[in-house]
This record gives sequence, structure tokens and C-alpha cells, in this order.
Amino acid sequence: MIVADQKPLNELKSLTRGGENVLVVGCGTCVTVCFAGGAREAAITASSLRMAFKLDGNSRQVSDVTVQRQCEWEYLDQIAEQVKEADVVLSLGCGVGVQAIAEHFPETWVVPGLNTSFMGMPTEQGVWAERCAACGDCILGLTGGICPIARCSKSLLNGPCGGSEGGHCEVNPETPCAWQLIYDRLTGMGKLDVLMEIQPPKNWRAARDGGPRKIVREDLRLAKEEE
Amino acid sequence: MEHVRNILQQIGLEPERVEMVNLSSAMAGEFVAAATQMTERIKTMGKNPLRSDLLGDRHTESER
Repeated sequence: MIVADQKPLNELKSLTRGGENVLVVGCGTCVTVCFAGGAREAAITASSLRMAFKLDGNSRQVSDVTVQRQCEWEYLDQIAEQVKEADVVLSLGCGVGVQAIAEHFPETWVVPGLNTSFMGMPTEQGVWAERCAACGDCILGLTGGICPIARCSKSLLNGPCGGSEGGHCEVNPETPCAWQLIYDRLTGMGKLDVLMEIQPPKNWRAARDGGPRKIVREDLRLAKEEE
Repeated sequence: MEHVRNILQQIGLEPERVEMVNLSSAMAGEFVAAATQMTERIKTMGKNPLRSDLLGDRHTESER
């Protein structure tokens, strides 16, 4: 899932300044699961803003609504009327959701309520950890299902480095060394020979280094109307 | 509870306005002590500055 974190209330007040009618838009997918921007968080944020505005002595209107997914047009269509009435939309979606609202409603001023952090998973209740860097050229099949791009601080392809100590990373001692995890897992499964295979250079053009990325599936596209 | 207190602080209200106490039904003395302590604390802090506004939001004229 995409994992995000809420911005402080003072920043939200600053981002929404100038708007008399604020609409907080939650998202029912990733940010709901990580307790950052779902229906509950949207309601709490709207309520918090209302109280903060009243304490500041102004009477700005704040309402909230949550869509199933902010990153798809058809779900955004459902809130078109509410968005139209708002002076500013405070999106509690990830960065994709914020941009989807901005693109779908070009006349609307939209600001982010979250800091989108990473793609990851909950490792225990209340703890989320990064697991994928979306590099576009997955090598998990070579590393025992543990990603050195996302989980090694240096994204090394030939680790561990000299900074691996006692199974932990020199960059942050709380971070397990990804290459130690890979080595231990492959050893345990009797597949250490996988690491002996010579690999060609990784294709970094599929990562962010090649600029903004796009996937086109011609088989899924709607047929163009005959002219 | 820590999260709620953090939100209250960000809003501009005293986080001490909310407290959670775990008590069993056999702890009457502790309940009275906690309630008394909370009452004294709230009296010291004064009324919730949002109270009248919040009531206005939540109740119709007929309910008041």
C-alpha cells in the first residue's frame, strides 16, 4: 500500500488560508488502511479545523467527504458538486489523489493534507515499513523476496557493504541490513548459489531516472471511434 | 489517548481536558477520586471556549 502521514494542523490551516469554504476529501483505499486519510481521519481533520478556526475567531465552513479512490475519475465524479462549492479542497489522499483532483477539477484549488511517504506494509500494529521503491525492473526473484533497492539504505546490488554490523545498517542501526536478510534467507532455503550467478547491469531507465513513467496496455484501451 | 491529546493541543485547547481512567466496578473510591480530580482540573482551566458553538452545531432549538 501507499503509506502516508498527516501534516500538522498548523500547516493545514496555512495551506487552506483564504478559503471560506473548505472541503476535506478522504480516500477509502491505501491511506484508510494506514490510518492517515480515510473517512475517519477526514472527519477528525474537518472537526479539528472547525474548532481551530472558531478559536481563531473566524467562521470558515469546513465539510468532509470520502471517496473510494481519489486516483480514479469515476470516483471523483461523485463529489463534483461538493468540489464545485468549495474554495479550497484539502485532499487526504496520497500525492496521486491530490493531483487527480487538480487534474479532474481544473478550476479548483487543491492542497495536500498528507505527506506521502512510501510503498510499504504494516510490520506490527502502528508500524509501517518501506518495502518497494517501484524501480520498474524487479529483482526480487534473485534476492529471495527481499528488496535491496528499497530496504538497503544504499540500494546496493552487491551487498552487504562494510557498514553492515551485526545484521544492522550503519546509516540507521535500527534498520536491518537488507543484504544480511537476503543472505540469511537464501542460506536457510539452500539457494545461496543464486547469488553466484553473474547478472547484467540493472535497467535503471525503468526507474525514475528515465523520467515520469507510463504503462500503456493496448489490449485494455477503448477502441477509437471510426471517423 | 495520547493521539487525542495531541489533536487537542494542535487545535489550541488544553490536552488535559481529556483523560481516560481504567477502573473496575469494585473501585468506587478510586472512581470518586478520579472524578473529583478531573472536576477540579476543569474548574481551574475554565469552560471549553468552543462549548456554546458546538452546542449550536449539534442541537436544534427544540432540543435545547
